[in-house]
Amino acid sequence: MKGRVLVIDDDTALAEMIGIVLRAEGLEPVFCERGDRALAAFRESSPDLVLLDLMLPGKDGIEVCREIRAESGVPIVMLTAKSDTVDVVQGLESGADDYVPKPFKPKELVARVRARLRSRAEPEPERLEIGDLSIDVAGHSVVRNGEQISLTPLEFDLLVALARKPWQVFSRELLLANVWGYRHSADTRLVNVHVQRLRAKIERDPENPEIILTVRGVGYRAGSGAQ
Amino acid sequence: MPSRNNAPDARNNAPDAPNAADEVTAPDPASSPDARSTPAAASSPDALNTPAAASSPDAPSTPAAPTLPAAITLTQALARRWPPRLGGSLQLRVVAITFLLSVIAMMLVGGYLSSAVRDGLFSDRRDQILEETARGFESMQTSLDSATATTAAETQQLVWDLMRGLRISGGADRDVMLLRNPKATAGVPIIDYTSRPGRTDLITDELREDVSTESGQFWQSIQVPPRNGASGDPVPGMIVGSQLNIPIAGAYELYIVESLENEQNTLDLVQRVLLAGGVVLIGALMIIAWFSARQVVRPVQNASAIAARLAAGQLTERMTEKGAHELTQLARSFNEMAMSLQEQITQLEELSRLQRRFVSDVSHELRTPLTTIRMAAEVMYASRDSFPPALARSAELLSTQLDRFEALLADLLEISRFDAGAAELDAENADVTVLLQRVTDLMEPLAESKGTHLRIDKPQEPIRADIDVRRVERILRNLISNAIEHAEDQPIDVFLAADENAVAVVVQDHGVGMTAEEAAHVFDRFWRADPARARTTGGTGLGLSISSEDANLHGGWLHAWGRVGEGSSFRLTLPRRAGRSFEVSPLPLTPEIEKEDDGVPEITDPAAVPRLAEGWLEVGDDE
Repeated sequence: MKGRVLVIDDDTALAEMIGIVLRAEGLEPVFCERGDRALAAFRESSPDLVLLDLMLPGKDGIEVCREIRAESGVPIVMLTAKSDTVDVVQGLESGADDYVPKPFKPKELVARVRARLRSRAEPEPERLEIGDLSIDVAGHSVVRNGEQISLTPLEFDLLVALARKPWQVFSRELLLANVWGYRHSADTRLVNVHVQRLRAKIERDPENPEIILTVRGVGYRAGSGAQ
Repeated sequence: MPSRNNAPDARNNAPDAPNAADEVTAPDPASSPDARSTPAAASSPDALNTPAAASSPDAPSTPAAPTLPAAITLTQALARRWPPRLGGSLQLRVVAITFLLSVIAMMLVGGYLSSAVRDGLFSDRRDQILEETARGFESMQTSLDSATATTAAETQQLVWDLMRGLRISGGADRDVMLLRNPKATAGVPIIDYTSRPGRTDLITDELREDVSTESGQFWQSIQVPPRNGASGDPVPGMIVGSQLNIPIAGAYELYIVESLENEQNTLDLVQRVLLAGGVVLIGALMIIAWFSARQVVRPVQNASAIAARLAAGQLTERMTEKGAHELTQLARSFNEMAMSLQEQITQLEELSRLQRRFVSDVSHELRTPLTTIRMAAEVMYASRDSFPPALARSAELLSTQLDRFEALLADLLEISRFDAGAAELDAENADVTVLLQRVTDLMEPLAESKGTHLRIDKPQEPIRADIDVRRVERILRNLISNAIEHAEDQPIDVFLAADENAVAVVVQDHGVGMTAEEAAHVFDRFWRADPARARTTGGTGLGLSISSEDANLHGGWLHAWGRVGEGSSFRLTLPRRAGRSFEVSPLPLTPEIEKEDDGVPEITDPAAVPRLAEGWLEVGDDE
């Protein structure tokens, strides 16, 4: 699989190094050095994945993330030197699917990138019902009362994972393995933030969720569809 | 005319007025004899002006005297006891003091008013009685002088008629008596007259002596039986005596007894009114004191509440500055203080924020080149097989030392996060047994490679506690790797236990151990027990410091114990519910040694730890 990766990072040495590693993996890196040119570079290159540094000249990485997310569901992986909760959560809330904390090893980076690209593999034709939502897995669409709800691929995968087994309670670790494709324990905040984002899009009242329910001390499960 | 002449003499008896007055106020049997004994001595001619002068200064003090010292001792006694008892409420104290002082003031004023009224009533009535009796005596004498009786029997009849008339002219309360002058020798005695039997007892010897020896009116204050006979308390009265010269019969003494019961009743009424008025006034004063104290206390309470809120961190709290009195000044100064506090705190917060920002920025700035180096090293390391030996080894060293560098950087950043107060507890309810199993599974290979193994003693059932899994896992990893490093081929014991408040993990090695002094430094940053001894597991020297901070962040304890040659022991104790405190760790710090060693007493109470033998140490500021 030939994947095009847009690397948005102002540190040219790091960008070049990432380029070397990605090329060795058979991926095609495209570079952008400034936050204010990121969106143009994104439109121009139409990448399969974006690697985004949070600290950028011209425009904040969080802002860039929001702009790209506004017009595309392409996976975004943040490169962050800040593993503090606030920064990570802020980045994830602005639309990123995952993050790689610096300093990372080449293998880690490649694993994350592969995981995000893999999730775009062709799915089986399948229809799911959850609450008042109907999900067309192959068509990648979620409809409520004939109205299309736009989800990013990751959000979609998360919803599908939960909707496929409405009787099961998913721990955060299990969701990380199923949806993100991480076998080793990663940051469970990823799950929390994405569930919040998903709820904001699909729940009638995100404060009182009916479709994705929290099971205290365990994880999440799909709602029984009770209204 | 003798009675007229005697009028000044009658007044001479006035010095006994205070005493008589005393009788009116309080029919005290103790003072009655005094009253009866004094008039005899009081006959000096220059005493004319004294009655008024003598009675007014004496009168008020006399009745007040018994009560005033009592009030003072009461005040002193209360003053001694009250501050501790009412120390809590200024308002209550003010009211209590107002009560005391107003009671004293009321006693003084009431005592004065009461005695003034009493003296006034008494002297008016006394003057009236003396005037009436003088007239009575005079008309009696005149009637007798002009009588035509020639025999004793006639005289007797005349005298008795006159006496009856004299009695009736004075109203129901008057009694009259006619007694023969004991010193009389001439004349034919007639039978004494008494308007009511037994009244002759009222005449004292002194009065009799005066009357029998000198001419003129003499009077004395007395207690007379009440009108309705023997029952009831005696009422104040007055007896006036004078000589009477009866033709044929000779020298006689005439006595008139007058009751002052009406005056006593009036005085009682006045006193009752005064008492009631005093009680009402004291009540009113207490209410006034309560409200005025409130005026002062309320703003102070208000200030105290606001100060408490300020102390609790609500820096925008201010007092209202209205009016122009002292409390407004208090409010103004208070607000200035609050303002300056707020400024300083804001400044400190700003500094702290800047520091955190700096740490964050440094972290970013350092990590970006480090990432590049790391990746470059990894790429080189991956193809080291194709390098010449020296270059290949260099790539290996570069890679491993970069791991160490990264670990050090990560630990430094973690420590600086604690220092900046930026560390936050991300607590969740988790099973500690599972967590411990995960860590020991992870550490077992390292233990094996160091020629030791882990012996785990933990309960079967899950132990759930509110913990930050990442931090607790880090603590356990640090403790176990530290134990592995010092195990000296001896097995390592790991104990897990919990009670309802706390969960504890003890990690214990049986290696070289450490001294008490070393145990005291074990949580210091970059501290090494033996600087000469090489670090084999590549720790950063910050692991135990971070663990200690992590334990504190949970509100828990991290304790260390060691003894040279016996090994060392670390105990982590965490509360099971976030924010809840606990008293006792579920595990002793040295379970294994305790069983074998007789020297160490059983330790279950961590509070007792510092007092025990050398080698004990506590870390964690929560105790």
